[in-house]
Amino acid sequence: MLEIRNLNKIYPGGVHALKDVSFTVEDGEFVVLIGLSGSGKSTLLRCINRLVEPTSGQVIWDGVDITAAAPSELRRIRRQIGMIFQQFNLVKRLSVMTNVLTGRLGYVPAWRSLLNYWTAEEKRMAMANLERVGIADQAWKRADELSGGQQQRVAIARALMQQPRLILADEPVASLDPATSHSVMKYILELNRRDGITVICSLHFLSLARQYGTRIIALRDGHIVFDGKPEEIDDRRFKEIYGEEAVEVEIR
Amino acid sequence: MNEKTPQMRRPFSLKRFVRNVVFLAVAVVVYLYGWKVTEINLGVLIRDVKDIKPLVVDLVRPELMVREEQSRLITYEYPIPCPENFQPKPAEAMGMQLEVKPGCGKADEITVTLRNARPNTSARVEWHFPIGTDQLLVQGTTDENGSLRLRFKRPVATIGGEKGLHGVKITLYWEEGPLRVSDTVKTVADKMVETVFLALMATTFGVIFAMPISFFGARNLMMTTKWGAVVYYLVRLVFNILRSVETLIWAVIFVVWVGIGPFAGVMALTVHSVAALAKLYSEAIESIDPGPIEAITATGASRLQTIIYAVVPQVIPPFIAFTIYRWDINVRMSTVVGLVGGGGIGYILIQYINLLQYRRAAVAMWAIVIVVSAMDYLSGYVREKIV
Repeated sequence: MLEIRNLNKIYPGGVHALKDVSFTVEDGEFVVLIGLSGSGKSTLLRCINRLVEPTSGQVIWDGVDITAAAPSELRRIRRQIGMIFQQFNLVKRLSVMTNVLTGRLGYVPAWRSLLNYWTAEEKRMAMANLERVGIADQAWKRADELSGGQQQRVAIARALMQQPRLILADEPVASLDPATSHSVMKYILELNRRDGITVICSLHFLSLARQYGTRIIALRDGHIVFDGKPEEIDDRRFKEIYGEEAVEVEIR
Repeated sequence: MNEKTPQMRRPFSLKRFVRNVVFLAVAVVVYLYGWKVTEINLGVLIRDVKDIKPLVVDLVRPELMVREEQSRLITYEYPIPCPENFQPKPAEAMGMQLEVKPGCGKADEITVTLRNARPNTSARVEWHFPIGTDQLLVQGTTDENGSLRLRFKRPVATIGGEKGLHGVKITLYWEEGPLRVSDTVKTVADKMVETVFLALMATTFGVIFAMPISFFGARNLMMTTKWGAVVYYLVRLVFNILRSVETLIWAVIFVVWVGIGPFAGVMALTVHSVAALAKLYSEAIESIDPGPIEAITATGASRLQTIIYAVVPQVIPPFIAFTIYRWDINVRMSTVVGLVGGGGIGYILIQYINLLQYRRAAVAMWAIVIVVSAMDYLSGYVREKIV
């Protein structure tokens, strides 16, 4: 269970990105974060694994206060939380295989990773994860030779190497075309359904959110303005989240 | 039509006018003074163009091939003062005859006549003092009959007094036999190899030191913590100080420190390379995509692991490009550090010039032109292939 308690983030420039955000996520949920650009979705996701340091408030995961964790403990927590990014964030010049293996860095001793030495078991695991996302045949290509959708699948395989119990996905399909978006979302959904990994995923399109989320949390100017089931978002709610002038578009 | 017609000219402003006049006056004063202190004299440039002629002429005929040098020497013994019952008698050697008039005493002017010598041959006349030193007097060339007549003022001995057995020495010299590669070419080639390796060593040491340091000078890696920021500013400060001192000045410093020779040159180029490369490397690190750093950090990797997997792969191509660029600069600079005693080709170049051996200096200069442009081309080619 993940508890967010009164989370605030004020950036050095004075931008108040999160204002007293509180909610609880049960294990196995598929939570979709929606909201306009700049509403605080990315900041919220990054505060959970402290890529962004919250100004105040707490993030408590299974009774452990992440916000109070010392550096070494934080790393042990982070390795159980997979993260997927809008820009995939692969190391472009490295092979797909190495990129996937980096997901294991939190588990291997420092000297071994410095020599870029990986055990047969780790390589087998990486190959299995690549197979799972359907691109095992691309393992030895350079990461930047792959298409956007394939790169995002490499990123999913990398997150799987962590054997995560929670996945944070920050706009995972915003850089992809609609068809590829669905294929990537299906892989994330499968992790949630089959492996029981809790997913918190921010999305641009409400239609995608309705389709994949079991629960939707909407942010506006750093506040939670909606927290409930997808079907509860009607026209009035929609305008509350996205503003009076917004029109819902379908993505199929 | 009540509308005001828009003014086509900017309205006059006294303040602006005064400001412009003052600015102009200051500029005039600055340039007049600058002209004076730098002693600019365009007249000399045109008037003394003849002085540069031998240098330019010799530059286009470098001493690449030479023949064996041959010489013949004939000496006339010249006593001061004249002994009693002195009978003037020409000196003879190898069939040559050297007559000196007057043949003794404190004459002001002396005439020498050489006969039966090798025709059309250069000759130099030297005065031999009793203490054993020689002084060059005149040069000439024998005619087609092998004769030469020269007049000169008798040199006055400054040390050791006038009394004693002086001498008039005439040396005939010419080149003979097949052409062969000159010693100059061998020396220059030798020094050129030294120069290239000087650049190689300096670049290598530069890379070895600059690479690890550059990570401490990268804003994006260091600014995350307070102590990191302190280290960042310190490292940057040291880079800037080291870099602001020119390589030639470092060379002078190291010549004093480790003595004249290529090692001083290596050290001078190394210091400057470390500072320059570290700055370029740091900037390469600062311009990487931060995405992978975020992603690798999120996996629970340590700081060092993040740098190795997210930063290093991204900076390899710019690092290689900057290293080749620096190697290029170092080859050029290594030809110069010799001027102040830092070894390499510059060292012999300045010696040839000081000895007025322009044809030899020309060999060194052409060697520099060829090697530097070859390195330039090579580094461009490698950069294109790798990056």
